[in-house]
Amino acid sequence: MRFKKTDSSVPDIDMTPMIDIVFQLIAFFMVITNFEQTQADERVILAKDALAMPPEVKREDELTINIGYERDQNGDRIDPDPFIFWPGEPIRLDGLEAKLRLEAQIYKDEGTEISDVTVVIRADAEVPTGLIQGVIKTAQKEGIEFQKFAIKARQSVEQ
Amino acid sequence: MKFRGKNTTEKIEAQMAPMIDVVFQLLIFFMLTLKIVEPEGDFTVNMPIGQSVAETDSPKPPVIKVRMKADPTTGEMYSMTIARKELFATAPGTTQEEKSSAAFQRLNSEILKAIGSPGNPLAEDQEVELDPDYELNSKYLINAIGACRGRLETNPQGRTELVDYIKKIKFAPPREKQPGS
Repeated sequence: MRFKKTDSSVPDIDMTPMIDIVFQLIAFFMVITNFEQTQADERVILAKDALAMPPEVKREDELTINIGYERDQNGDRIDPDPFIFWPGEPIRLDGLEAKLRLEAQIYKDEGTEISDVTVVIRADAEVPTGLIQGVIKTAQKEGIEFQKFAIKARQSVEQ
Repeated sequence: MKFRGKNTTEKIEAQMAPMIDVVFQLLIFFMLTLKIVEPEGDFTVNMPIGQSVAETDSPKPPVIKVRMKADPTTGEMYSMTIARKELFATAPGTTQEEKSSAAFQRLNSEILKAIGSPGNPLAEDQEVELDPDYELNSKYLINAIGACRGRLETNPQGRTELVDYIKKIKFAPPREKQPGS
């Protein structure tokens, strides 16, 4: 029987094309990744309105507050009362003041003017309006004093 | 000088297999992670609760008050009034959706009546105060802000643009919870 003579030396792998692609990818990801919505919470189903427009000038400092319900797989509410989905733990309105005080302090320590920070409220379409007003009122309290507010909505084209 | 043999003229074949592997991996990755979301926009609340614009010498037009009432258990709107004129209960339509959509259109035209014409310099200081019940679902609040804010119009170039009505939208102090909510 005849055997082919095998080359015992390891063949050189050409890394160039792979590196090309990997770099392409990294560039692609950097461009496509939407850092703005990283603070968005999936549990919040926003209300729709045709006039809701993204801000023309990008805001420099934003503090996003998500308000919504804990829902099961069918979309039914597990808890009838809405939560504020603070990063890490859901809280109620009465727990918000302490969190906002801390947040305001962090901005102050960083040297950011509180009047430049926009509080962006992402509220579920079924959240009672009084709660949104309560959140704004809490954020305006003495010692916290946020001044700019915005309410998010999904942009929808009206038929 | 020494030259290598035949090898120099031989064409090196590009190995396509690993590249295709990677490209397919990528394709699958994007297909799985792609999430189609409608773009999010927002409404700026220019004058939050308890604040008012700085006093100016020119007399300010009276604030337009929009009162919205909601069912305490469901949070659905049952009444919307602007200067005591009912917009919701008398709106055409049978379902809640139809009625509220008609009511917000009426609110939009009432606001236009109040300011005269879009961009009217006399109406620049015009304020709208929204006074909703505690339980009102926030979607109605968003729609009310939208209706006061302006309307969308398609210009001759086929682009949709915003026609401003009122920019100064504020909230009344929050109401207490209604019994039965």
